[in-house]
Amino acid sequence: MSDAILEMRNIKKSFGDLEVLKGIDLEVDRGEVVAIIGPSGGGKSTLLRCATTLEKIDSGKIVIAGDTLCDTPEERAVYADKKMLLEIRSKFGLVFQNFNLFPHFSVRRNITEALIHVHKKSREEADAICDELLAKMELSDKADYYPCNLSGGQQQRVSIARALAANPDIIFFDEPTSALDPELTKGVLSVIKALAQENMTMVIVTHEMSFARDVADRIVFMDGGVIVEEGPAYDLVTNPREERTKEFLAGY
Amino acid sequence: MDIGAILLQLLEGFLVTLGIFAFTLVFSIPLGLLVAKGRMAKNIIVSSIFRFYISILRGTPLMLQLLLVYFGPFYLFQIKTGDIHLGPFDYRFIATIIGFSLNYAAYFAEIFRGGIQSMSKGQYEAAQVLGFTKSQTYFRIILPQVIKTVLPSVSNEVITLVKDTSLAQVLSVSEMFTEAKTLASANVSVIPYIAAGVFYYIMNGVIEMIMTRIEKSMSYYS
Repeated sequence: MSDAILEMRNIKKSFGDLEVLKGIDLEVDRGEVVAIIGPSGGGKSTLLRCATTLEKIDSGKIVIAGDTLCDTPEERAVYADKKMLLEIRSKFGLVFQNFNLFPHFSVRRNITEALIHVHKKSREEADAICDELLAKMELSDKADYYPCNLSGGQQQRVSIARALAANPDIIFFDEPTSALDPELTKGVLSVIKALAQENMTMVIVTHEMSFARDVADRIVFMDGGVIVEEGPAYDLVTNPREERTKEFLAGY
Repeated sequence: MDIGAILLQLLEGFLVTLGIFAFTLVFSIPLGLLVAKGRMAKNIIVSSIFRFYISILRGTPLMLQLLLVYFGPFYLFQIKTGDIHLGPFDYRFIATIIGFSLNYAAYFAEIFRGGIQSMSKGQYEAAQVLGFTKSQTYFRIILPQVIKTVLPSVSNEVITLVKDTSLAQVLSVSEMFTEAKTLASANVSVIPYIAAGVFYYIMNGVIEMIMTRIEKSMSYYS
């Protein structure tokens, strides 16, 4: 049995007439960190949104931690039923570019709300998980703050804690530092780096090339709705094979 | 008639005014939420029906709507509304509440729709990914934020409602304005009007205070 946590097969997705994903294959093993890079409009974010159920694919197959999210027995993709969807959603976490914290909840409640009301944990259990995660994010003193009183970097670390709370098998990051200035970016990246050292399985869409090179095991370069090139992170950045990849990396 | 007697009679009317006010809020706010939902329905037939509802109720006088609710059942269906009673309330009062609730629901619906549509897509997406069901998302994540956004506009409507209750006079409901009119002509005096005005003004002052307090209690985040 393969140790794949994420398996995406021949993913196709169009918005109207525009084909955004033209048959993507992506597999991520347990403990692996994969960075997806590429120009805007190349399909990176759409791929991530498809993997996290925020967009529905037209055809293809997605398996997350052994559960089939959708498959294509005939022409169109067929999705799992509601119950299964909820089950699958507890197996991954997603960190958004613009955080999407709940502004009316304190930091603590942002993290514990789903634990209590989705995963049916007791308040004590949820609080314990929250405290542990906040310590890890170096935000222990911010539990009672509201998101509007935190810096962007702190907000993003809270949203990482929120994504980690239900102990997912894999975490997706959608350009986690694009809304942050360089100073705040550092803190967020170091948190992701620490997660990588704990062998957290992660897929990171990013424009931080040096970060991708240092932290990712593998880099996937996407452009025009296809995977142009993929390989071990260091090799791909220092020695790209495809002309298109070279062009893109030359801009950094 | 001395001032004390006038005030006493106005006060009785004021209680009826208060009744119209409270019942209307209790019914029109949930109804407004439903209408807003219907107005935002993806099904174009459903959304058109609610759009039509809103345009009719906002586009015609409330006074006319009250008369229609009151006289409609008899003129259209020969229903003897005089026999209808709900506890202590006769059809005169019930029709008033129905008319006001239907009308205010249309206004509230548009306010709620604005509030709901101002929510960013990211809030729904974050909730979805965290595994919240649709109704959990709505009641835990979306609605509390919508309430904060719409509160100032809702205050506006509520204050207007206090004054609009005086329209119930067309159905001869013995609310404060009806009483004031009767007293004024019986005593050939303007004092009942002035006293009624003071009552309305004080009531709105209290409402404003309450609404400000609620707004403040929600200002812990921006």
